[in-house]
Amino acid sequence: MSQAELDTTQLLKGVLDLAVLAVLAEADSYGYDVVRRLRENGLDHVGDASVYGTLRRLYQAGALNSYVVPSEEGPHRKYYGLNNRGRKALDQSAQNWASFSKALNHLLNGRSNGHAK
Amino acid sequence: MPSNDQPTDVAAYAAAVRLALSDLPTQEADILLEDLEDHLAEIAAEGDASLADRLGPPQQYAQELRAAYGAHPSARAQHASLRLTARRAVQQVVGSKVYEEVRAFLPQLRPAWWVLRAYLAVLILTAAFSRGDGLGPIPDPTTKRGLAQILATGVAIWLSVRFGRRGRPLPQPARVLAVSANVLIAFIAILVLGNMRSFAYSQVIGTLYQGQPPSDAAFAAGPVTNIYPYSQDGKPLTNVLLFDQDGRPITMEPSEAQTTYPIGADGQPITNAYPLNQRHMSGDPVAAPRVALPPWPTPTATASPSATSSPTASPSPSPTR
Repeated sequence: MSQAELDTTQLLKGVLDLAVLAVLAEADSYGYDVVRRLRENGLDHVGDASVYGTLRRLYQAGALNSYVVPSEEGPHRKYYGLNNRGRKALDQSAQNWASFSKALNHLLNGRSNGHAK
Repeated sequence: MPSNDQPTDVAAYAAAVRLALSDLPTQEADILLEDLEDHLAEIAAEGDASLADRLGPPQQYAQELRAAYGAHPSARAQHASLRLTARRAVQQVVGSKVYEEVRAFLPQLRPAWWVLRAYLAVLILTAAFSRGDGLGPIPDPTTKRGLAQILATGVAIWLSVRFGRRGRPLPQPARVLAVSANVLIAFIAILVLGNMRSFAYSQVIGTLYQGQPPSDAAFAAGPVTNIYPYSQDGKPLTNVLLFDQDGRPITMEPSEAQTTYPIGADGQPITNAYPLNQRHMSGDPVAAPRVALPPWPTPTATASPSATSSPTASPSPSPTR
């Protein structure tokens, strides 16, 4: 694992809940589909087990609904969707993230400006 | 296109993940792993590569799952894993080559144990019924007891071997009893033998030590090498002849100092005249020690009737003279 991958993995750990909630806010989804959509959105290094574990934990915490959709060609798919608690958690986490990333961006911009001067 | 062995691949991978998470409390594991197989089947359906190729080893997958779910092993599971470790250790020993060799070799030692247990049983009985010392691990054929012991050992060996050679195995309860009896004999025999002085010690070393006088032990400060007699009034005496209760001259053991004895008129050295004239190895004469003379009772204090019986030559106010 390269240093860049390691960094990304560490960063993901803190925001994976938020990322999963955001994906499910777009549309209900099943485990593997969530992984695929996260990767499509640029989170290349997200681990399958991490997503699966996060889904199970959020479901256990009561933030998600779940229902099984029979599939004709493959296995049954367990779909997850946000319930009210999940949506509230997403809003809260999104705000936290916004202020956090704003602070960090400010810090990073200040540094690059400082170099520029 | 999915490969033919896809379902077995999924089942095997899921089983390995479940095994790696077997330390989790059952309820928690059930919730976490509820649709693991379906999820893995979905991934497997995506391509031909095996799950291990795409997801990494199942142990690593389980580790990631555990971290994402935030699960901790239960205390009970930790106990169980301890037990598992112990069982694995036992299995490792049992499965080892050395153990197999010992196991194959042990049955050959059985007849030796039959003989040994008969001997030990008689030994234990002898020790239990005789209080005498000098009971050694080897019976003494010169005594009645020793002869009886040898005879009894012979009979016991014959019985023990007969019992051991009886081919058919004992029923379960009798078997437990027999094993316990064997272990008991071995255990008690160790105690009895441990308390026993060995044959060599009791017969040979014992007699050697018998003749040794306890001279050194009697004088904590060391052996006596000379005697300095003093009169009652504290004057050092010379050439005092000392004899023991049988009239034999009392002599000193040779010491590092060189002793010069006076020669008698008959040409024989007088060895019991004290103090002995001694010189160190260097040639210097051995100096007389400083002595603390005890204070005798004063004559006035002893002016009691008993004072008259005093045989001393001290000036006594005795009026009988």
